[in-house]
Amino acid sequence: MNNMKLMNKISVFPALLLALLPLLLLTGCWDNVELNRRAIVSGVAIDRGPTEAEKYRLSFQVIVAEEISGENARGISPVAMYTGTGRTMFEALADASRQTARFLSLGHVRVLVVSEELAREGIKDILDVLERESDTRLTSLIFIAKGQPAHELMSTMTVFSKIPVNDLVEKLETTSKQFGYNFRMEVDDVIRGVQLTGGGPIINGVFTSGSREGADTNDNLKSISPKNILRISGLAAFKDDKMKGWLDGDAALGTVLLHNKIKEFPVVIKDKEGGYLSFNVYQSQVTLKAAVTDPEHPVIIVKIRQQAAIKESANSLDLTSPEVLEGLSEQLTGETIKQIKAAIASAREFKSDYLGFGQVLQRTHPRGWKQVKDHWEDIFAACEVQFDADAVIRHTDMRSNSFQINK
Amino acid sequence: MKSWSNKHKQATAAAPANQPAEGGAPYLSDNFARNLDSMQSELGGSPDLKVRRIQIGGERRIEAAAIHLSGLADTVAVNEFVIGSLLGNTEDLFPDDTDDMVTARASDQAAQETSHGDGAASGTAAPAEASINATAESAANSAAKSAPMFTAEPGTGRSPLPQLILNRALEIGDAVLQEEWKDIMLAVLSGDTVILLEGYRTAIICETRGGEQRSVSEPSSQLVVRGPKDGFVESVATNISLIRRRIKSPKLRLEYMKIGTETQTHVALMYMKGIAGEDLIREVRERLRKITLDEVLESGFIEELIQDKTFTPFPTIYNSERPDVAAGNLLEGRVVIIVDGTPFVLILPAVFTQFFQSAEDYSQRFDIAIMMRVIRYVSFLVLILGPSVYLALTTYHYEMIPTTLLINLLSQRENVPFPAFVEVLLMETAFEILREAGVRMPRVIGQTVSVVGALILGTAVVEAGIITPIMVIVVALTGIASFAIPAYNMAIAGRLIRFAFLIMASMFGFYGITLGLIVLVAHMNSLRTFGIPYLSPFVPLSVKGQKDTILRLPLWLMGPRKSPQQMRAELPEYMQLTTGYDEQLSPLILKNNTAARQQAEGEQHETDE
Repeated sequence: MNNMKLMNKISVFPALLLALLPLLLLTGCWDNVELNRRAIVSGVAIDRGPTEAEKYRLSFQVIVAEEISGENARGISPVAMYTGTGRTMFEALADASRQTARFLSLGHVRVLVVSEELAREGIKDILDVLERESDTRLTSLIFIAKGQPAHELMSTMTVFSKIPVNDLVEKLETTSKQFGYNFRMEVDDVIRGVQLTGGGPIINGVFTSGSREGADTNDNLKSISPKNILRISGLAAFKDDKMKGWLDGDAALGTVLLHNKIKEFPVVIKDKEGGYLSFNVYQSQVTLKAAVTDPEHPVIIVKIRQQAAIKESANSLDLTSPEVLEGLSEQLTGETIKQIKAAIASAREFKSDYLGFGQVLQRTHPRGWKQVKDHWEDIFAACEVQFDADAVIRHTDMRSNSFQINK
Repeated sequence: MKSWSNKHKQATAAAPANQPAEGGAPYLSDNFARNLDSMQSELGGSPDLKVRRIQIGGERRIEAAAIHLSGLADTVAVNEFVIGSLLGNTEDLFPDDTDDMVTARASDQAAQETSHGDGAASGTAAPAEASINATAESAANSAAKSAPMFTAEPGTGRSPLPQLILNRALEIGDAVLQEEWKDIMLAVLSGDTVILLEGYRTAIICETRGGEQRSVSEPSSQLVVRGPKDGFVESVATNISLIRRRIKSPKLRLEYMKIGTETQTHVALMYMKGIAGEDLIREVRERLRKITLDEVLESGFIEELIQDKTFTPFPTIYNSERPDVAAGNLLEGRVVIIVDGTPFVLILPAVFTQFFQSAEDYSQRFDIAIMMRVIRYVSFLVLILGPSVYLALTTYHYEMIPTTLLINLLSQRENVPFPAFVEVLLMETAFEILREAGVRMPRVIGQTVSVVGALILGTAVVEAGIITPIMVIVVALTGIASFAIPAYNMAIAGRLIRFAFLIMASMFGFYGITLGLIVLVAHMNSLRTFGIPYLSPFVPLSVKGQKDTILRLPLWLMGPRKSPQQMRAELPEYMQLTTGYDEQLSPLILKNNTAARQQAEGEQHETDE
């Protein structure tokens, strides 16, 4: 009887297999796309079209892979740009797709550039598409084109990378690590910034400097000094999803300090005797606290802890003396407080709490926050800010005193 | 040697008269010439059957013959110790009168009559049973059973002549008396020398096995940098000695069996008494006993019939060419089955992790051994998943490839005519063909294969634009990964599974690979090797069992050795599995058993009716 059972089992098995095979063959492969049927998009520029029917003007920077690493390069441009327009983002994408021979694949979009015009109008539609669409990634970097059409940023030949977008990404990484106030701002961060009550995101600004003529051809690179260069500068401050204005200089630096996004930055102060001193602040920790006795009048306490090294001091200061260093570090904290005050002033001017004071209040006093949430703008404009700053000069680099002191 | 052919004819002519049919006669006849003739005719007058006729004794001569198969027997032993001792001083064995001989004949006659009666009653069943269990070496048992026939004559107090020769003349170490025809034939075919004596129904079997054999040499598979360099050979006796030399313990037990109705292959079962589980040994013995095959030419025949599950790519019995591996496993409580005619011994039970261990792990430092083991597991993953992950990445999940790499892949694929799946399949098939060719090729041409393979697959195919260079890298990597797995049978299992994953990946991408992995792990969980879960000690998880799986802790940390029995006893009750797999197992074994098949057919007829 056992044998009989086994025989049945064996004959049932292939029949079952045969029945299940169509399931595999009929359903499989439906979203299979061979690599050479894809057009990889490296960057997208979003401009405001002239009419409502052409509200979104999307420019896709598509990588021509063969031109970059193939053996049969034809000497043409390493990237190609396709532009589509539409009432919505998706319509514009569909429009652009019709122009390309291959599937526009958004999985590798590294940079999104939004024109200033559109940013001032509002970016919530854009953010929704970026979040909803499964192909795009929330780790793409986002920029605001400073005073020029966004597509120009996508059509500038760059020196250090055949793909212009990569040049932009690398530039941002370099400035955020060394002496700059711009930092990585991803789509995800922007979406979270928009949700901030009474505040908004801050987004890096980007522009091209120099003559636009021939910027999108190899001519741009033929001379030692490129005619047109992509540059990252300034921070676009937002209120909700609408851009309010640009932050530069001290205000920008102070904003980034408050966000704790800065790694290393130079500070220059003037000595009492008139000479200049340069510091490299290599660690800076800013923590915000709220002292709440009355939710209507909260006190925001900004605690600053910095470590710095002296990089330049062509003076006759005695850098081995603790008193002198003490004095210098006080000047250093004074400088930082000045920057942060400038940042707060700008934020109050834009009436946008992108600095996150409201968040601090919410964390320390949730019940109080509920009372003042609706008119936070007014409170933010008037609330008191106190500073608790301390800077330590850790070392004076390769020398202690300048050679001038031994004269 | 022409003379015997005439006799043979006479014998066949005379046979129907009063002699039982050839081969059918269960016992020796008392007719010396007839015995000789039927022996020759049963082997079809084979010219390598050497019959040396001699006369022994002094004044009263007795015809005798020493029979052996040339090539199988050790010629020196036959000449010097068998024939030499017979021709030597045998006179004093003979009594002065002939009474003794007459009485001996009479007693033999009586014995024959009784045994004929037996034979008629039980037919061929009893000898067939005996042939499985009894071997030439253990023939002493059967000799002991029928001992009363040979022992002292009641009247005279003297032993019959064969006993006397055995006791006093033969200078050979292992010799027994035998009167069953089947066993005598088996002894001749095994290389022993049979002495037939005129007027006696008892033959003397002298152990003279020998002939040409491969000497112990370095194993051709499972090589090590450091470790013993001897390997098993094709002879059971040599192989046993190689193990015994390593374990000088009285606990090391050996059992012999004969499997294969035609080949009568010696199969030796070895285990450590007290370390190996009793029920494991019983189960192995039982499974071996159930095998009814015509031929057993390699241990693979046995493996296939005693393994727990046939429909799986995974081996559940380990095989090795190395005596040190066999000895180590014996000491860990496993059972070793040695099959005559092959240097590959079977080691069981074998769990999944065992196939990733090498003998060298224990001769190298423990940290290095751990690294090597981890590399083997990784290479198994690369082997089964390498091409399918590549396929899934490029056709479904391009966003997971780093942009710079993606650009490279894109430009490589630009002018390739086939979809990636066809490309992988082409390349993998080509690689398998190349490997198969390389294995089968005579060693002289082997190099040509590798040169042609490397050139064609490596360069020309890429230059011709049929295959992308990255594909060559992927295929080469999986190829090399398959060689990094120490057990060849596990490596080929991986090679097979790889194709299944390839198909899954081409249809569903990573989703398909994940489904495949789930099925694979579920399948591996369903496997048992002689009652032990195949994935143990991972499933069921035993923390103590991790000491020698992926890790190999320093020897002093491993603690006292535990038998699988003990380890199983430590499991929670619901996980304790027994080896009682007869119900599932026996149908598979019985399939090869003609008797069972006939029985099954009979049942079927009954049901039909």
